Amino acid sequence: MSKSSNNNDSELIEKVKNGNEGAFNFLMNKYYPRVYASLFSFTKSKEDSEDLTQQTFLKVWQQISTFRGDSAFFTWVYRIAINLAKNYVASSSYKKQRMNTSIEDGEIEIRSYEGSELSLIHDESMKDIRNFINTLPESLKTAFTLREHDGLSYEEISKITETPIGTVRSRIFRAREAVVDFINKELTSYE
Amino acid sequence: MSDIKERLSALYDGELDSNDIDSVLEELEADNNLQKTLSLYSLIGLSLANENKVTDINDFKIEKNKNIFTNIWFSNTLTAAASIILTLFVVNYADFSRMSISVDSTNKIASAVSSREAKEIISNSDEYLVDHIMSVINDPSFMNSNTIDLKNVGYAAGRAGNVGYSNGNEKFQLRIENKNFGLKKIRYWKHGNKMIYIVPISNGRVVTLYGNLSASSAIEIANSIN
Repeated sequence: MSKSSNNNDSELIEKVKNGNEGAFNFLMNKYYPRVYASLFSFTKSKEDSEDLTQQTFLKVWQQISTFRGDSAFFTWVYRIAINLAKNYVASSSYKKQRMNTSIEDGEIEIRSYEGSELSLIHDESMKDIRNFINTLPESLKTAFTLREHDGLSYEEISKITETPIGTVRSRIFRAREAVVDFINKELTSYE
Repeated sequence: MSDIKERLSALYDGELDSNDIDSVLEELEADNNLQKTLSLYSLIGLSLANENKVTDINDFKIEKNKNIFTNIWFSNTLTAAASIILTLFVVNYADFSRMSISVDSTNKIASAVSSREAKEIISNSDEYLVDHIMSVINDPSFMNSNTIDLKNVGYAAGRAGNVGYSNGNEKFQLRIENKNFGLKKIRYWKHGNKMIYIVPISNGRVVTLYGNLSASSAIEIANSIN
């Protein structure tokens, strides 16, 4: 079962290249907040960041066949986002030429997060989430932070913690579920 | 239900068995709650990445030996992610002092991004260099050069499987490129509590150092490789 981390991205990308919208939606869900957060730092505008993020993933969908895997997938996505952000910075008329048209012309629906989950980025919620993670049982916290913070693969975490890979997978999942429960109960009202 | 969520978690981490991917994608398409769960997984990851986010230019401590910086560019890197926000603006160190660092950093960053200087720098920036930095931060296997002997400058290589060098106080990873990205000066970025230094060395190469080490140490190490 063990694979190098993000190995599944390659498989998902191949599926996207073959027109699999489910794989595309997975990758978009996975990277959307990162791209949005990056663009927000550029634009300081929630609305523009949202538009640019959607435009980024539209381009990802349209140009995925050109992704050769020379860099990490997120690096490639990030470069698309940055190029769009450069245009945003350079073009004072950007807001007049919003990209709604191009999205409507696209061949895939680029879903908006409609502010629900993304709103967590803009307040103290991220800090609250980190604080909650610190309260997790040590075994869960260790596996989870080694994965999310340090980017280690399950196999690497397994060696470090001297636990089976299946246990690592389970601990990371349980940590995520605990945090999701915390978010749903304490930080959001949309559930 | 927890089984599909555990498989979703594994797929999110890129660790799901290939045979299971399609079934997870199918269930994901049909279940809005599962899609929301995936979105939250991503946000949770972002929250940890944001722990290292550099948003305040005042957090950056100018080191004691200013002479070291006379030939260095200062790059303030906003980072989100093992996940990342990168290279929003690059400021020549000579101009740093006139940027009134006591003012609110957010306004300053916004101002810097929209400045003509920043636009020119951004438009001239080398995308390959951006890719390089992204790989340094995002790809744990990227900084994998452990074959250079740095004992002459006081750093020992980690044991097998423990990539990097250390002298007890400073720990870092190192990589050498046979290309120089067009760099003639040392450039560096701050990523969380770590630094990334890219130092041009001989024969058109650059050495990248990533970790907890000072600029002076980075320069000393790079010079030893020269």
